Parts: sequence; C-alpha cells; structure tokens
Amino acid sequence: MNYSNLTQRYFDGASALAGVLSGPHTFRGGAGSRAQGTWIQFDLRVDPGEARTIQAARFLAYACPHIIAAAAWMTEAAVGRSASAAPPESAQGLRERFAIPVEKLGRLLIVEDAWSAAVKACMGSAAG
Amino acid sequence: MNTPVYLDYAATTPVDPRVAAVMAECLTAQGTFGNAGSGHSFGDEANSVIEAARAQVAEAVGALPAEVIFTSGATEANNLSIFGVANYSRPLGQHIVAVRTEHKAVLDPCRELERRGWRVTYLVPRGDGVVDPAQVAAALRADTVLVCVMHVNNEIGVIQDVAAIAAVCAEHGGARLHVDAAQSAGKHAIDFAAIGCDLMALSAHKVYGPKGVGALLVSQRRAVHLEALHHGGGQERGLRSGTLPTHQIAGMGEAFKLSRSAAAAEGARAALLRQRLWRGLSALGGVLRNGDEANSVPQILNASFEDVEGESLLAAVGPHIAVSAGAACASAVREPSYVLRALGRDDRLAESSLRFSLGRFTEERDIDLAVTAVTEAVTRLRKIGGA
Repeated sequence: MNYSNLTQRYFDGASALAGVLSGPHTFRGGAGSRAQGTWIQFDLRVDPGEARTIQAARFLAYACPHIIAAAAWMTEAAVGRSASAAPPESAQGLRERFAIPVEKLGRLLIVEDAWSAAVKACMGSAAG
Repeated sequence: MNTPVYLDYAATTPVDPRVAAVMAECLTAQGTFGNAGSGHSFGDEANSVIEAARAQVAEAVGALPAEVIFTSGATEANNLSIFGVANYSRPLGQHIVAVRTEHKAVLDPCRELERRGWRVTYLVPRGDGVVDPAQVAAALRADTVLVCVMHVNNEIGVIQDVAAIAAVCAEHGGARLHVDAAQSAGKHAIDFAAIGCDLMALSAHKVYGPKGVGALLVSQRRAVHLEALHHGGGQERGLRSGTLPTHQIAGMGEAFKLSRSAAAAEGARAALLRQRLWRGLSALGGVLRNGDEANSVPQILNASFEDVEGESLLAAVGPHIAVSAGAACASAVREPSYVLRALGRDDRLAESSLRFSLGRFTEERDIDLAVTAVTEAVTRLRKIGGA
C-alpha cells in the first residue's frame, strides 16, 4: 500500500511520541481492542488550573500505519491545547489530512473515541 | 534509497541469464522465430526447439514428453485440469475433493464448479499444514471424479505426501488426482511417474524461467481424459490450441534443466540460510513458525509475530526487504491469509505473518539484513503498542 508523505513521516517517527505518562494530573483513555485489530490509548498530563491545558501527551497503538500516524499527530498537536476544547482534529479531518482510504474511517473513529475517553477522564476529574 | 533485499522467490524469480540467452535465440530474424505449426523449415526449426524443451521439462519431472501440455502458466494448467476433467467426467459424477489451503488457481475453479452444481469437499489440514491421506480416503464418495492436492504449499512450504494420496485415489478407482506443483520445481524433487498422480500443473517463473508459460502434465500411463477449454488450431494434442510461444517454451525447458541439476546443492544451501534466518528471528521472542518445519521445502519460512499489527509490520520492513505478508490486499482493508486461518491461526497472527522465500541468489548477508530489519521493526511496533 502507498502512504502519503505525511503518513510515512508520522509512522516512521511514532516511537518518539509513543509511551505512557504517570504522576499527578495525568489521565488516560483508550478505545478499540487488539482482537479487533485496532487499539489506541492516549495519556494526557494537564495543567491543574481552570484551563486544563495539556502539558504533555503520549499514545500507544496497535494499528495500521495510517492510524499510528494519525494518533501520533494527535499526540503532538495536543500539547498546549485546552483539554476542554475540541480534539485537534476530527476523524474526517484526520482522513483528509493523511489521505486515508475511506474504508478505514471506522478505525479513525477509534482514534476519536480514545481521545474522547482521555478527555472525559480529565474533565471528570476536574468536575470532581 | 537502497533496493530492498529480495526474499520473495516463491512469488516469482528473476530469469536466469542462461535461460534469457536461450529465449533470445528465438525472437529475431536471425533466430528461431518461426511458427512451430508451419510446414516449412522455419516452422520445423521452431518445432524442434519446442520438442527439445518438452523433453527437458519431462526429464526434469519424471514424465514422458508426450505428457507435457504447454500452457500460459500454472493457473491455466490448473484450470485446464479441473474444468477439463470435470467436463469430461460429468456423466460419472459431480463431486470433487480439494484442500482448504490450495492456491486460488485451484480453489476458484472449484468454487465456479460449485456454482454450476458440483459438490466440493474441502479438507482442512492439520495444524502443521499436512493433509493426512486418510482424510482424503474418508472424503471420497462413489461420485468423486477429482481430488486436488498441492505438492508444496506456496505460503508455508509444507510438502504433501501426494504419492500416498495418489494410492488412495487409485484404490478408489474413479477419482483422478490433480497436483498443483507450481512451487515444487527447483525446491523439491518431482517424479510424476513415481508419484502416480493423473495430472500436474507446473510453472516456469517460479524456477528462474519466464512468466507466461507453464505446463499441465497429463498421464498417458493412466489414460487420463479431459476436455479442452478453448479451441482453434488443435495444438498440444488438441488440449491447448494456440500458436506455441517458442521463446517462452524454450526458456521453460532450459529453466527446468538447470533446476534439475542445481536442486540438491541449492536446497542444501537454502536449508542453512533458513536456519540462520529462523535463529535470528526467533531470538526476538513471540515468534511462531507456521507449517511443519521437518516437512517443508528449505526455501520457505513463514512466521507470525505476536503483538504487532500486520500492515504496520509489512510497512516497517518494506523499505529493507521484499517479502510476502500473511494478508491479502483485496481493498484498503486487508484480509488475513486463508491458509494460516485454515491451520488454526487467529486473524491477528495470520495478519502479522511474513513469508520469507529464499532463492538462487540469496546470500548470508541478505539473511542478516532481513533479521536486522525485522528485529528493528518488531521492537519498534511493540514499543508503540505498549507490548
């Protein structure tokens, strides 16, 4: 399969953004499953203040190159954003950005779901 | 970017320069360009080249020259055999036995016959890929007219005991045995007569010959009859009409002649290389070998890698090595290998498999590079996956 230059770049460089975070104000969300072929997890460390600014992010993925690239890009783009804001990119936006075949839209929704789960954990903590 | 190391000889092989030289002699005005069917000296010369090649192929596989029917390749040979026998034998029965792990060139004709009202029993091999002849015996029915069992599996390299299966078919009496031997030549000895099967498909391009030519062996000793699939000219005993491509056939003859003389040495060398490859790959941990190691051709190694996604694995190793993956790209979303699934591998392990197939031009440094490339890719992907 041919991948776009952006997909190839983020797939090749994904290791640098992969991993987990620990410590205070760190929240985790995941979606999908290995058994189904796509699993994504995001870890977000946020500013404890009102803005909930994302200070650091990491991801883990068992997925195809398109989805790994998209998740890596989301991880990179997250830093500096407010966790309460919209995700850095929608599933459709990621599809267009990385020239991902439409057949993989379902997998991109898993990226979106994982992001939402991490944000929900973060915002749930804030509400509590 | 450097050219990836080619480890996909089971997909196709480069034409051996000695074969290319023989083919080149049949192309231009200075060479043997005539139509073998023409009744003049140019035709006679072409016919002599073709008959010499027929003898070379026959000798390499233990067949009689008259049993060799040249085709456009193994796919056509498989189709000619399956539809040819089915059409001829229809009054005797409409049941076929095939193995779940056959090549599509066998399975798709079987499925087409099913659509036309035939019944097909698909045998599931053991977990190591081997079909027990007793399975074939148990599947035979009074109306079985054809059994299809491949000699060497193209994905896992496992060798079937086709001689024992031929004996089972002979005992049955009415069932013809068709053997797809596209992967066998150059990798495993073929003796058509000793095996005792009725029909056998061969390919040239798997054994350093040209693409676009193959053969169907039709046993004369066993008085096999089949109907032609297309008509016009009556070449190849009326079974495969069409002007014979002299250069292709000459190339196939030379390729089979060379493979016969080189097979033993190449097999021994490939066995050492494969051992080196497996030693390197298995050091990663979480690597599962697919197929029966002791009962497979030395040129093929198929392995599944735990905790890595298949498409990502192929993409990560792709710049460094050319191998086949355990998934087919029918669309953007890949389908796991039906062969590995038939052996009991789950979808994820079937997808994360790689087939390494070694050949005449594979060297130790190629193996070492492959081990390095796969090790780096698997390690990286396992880290990304948190494994």
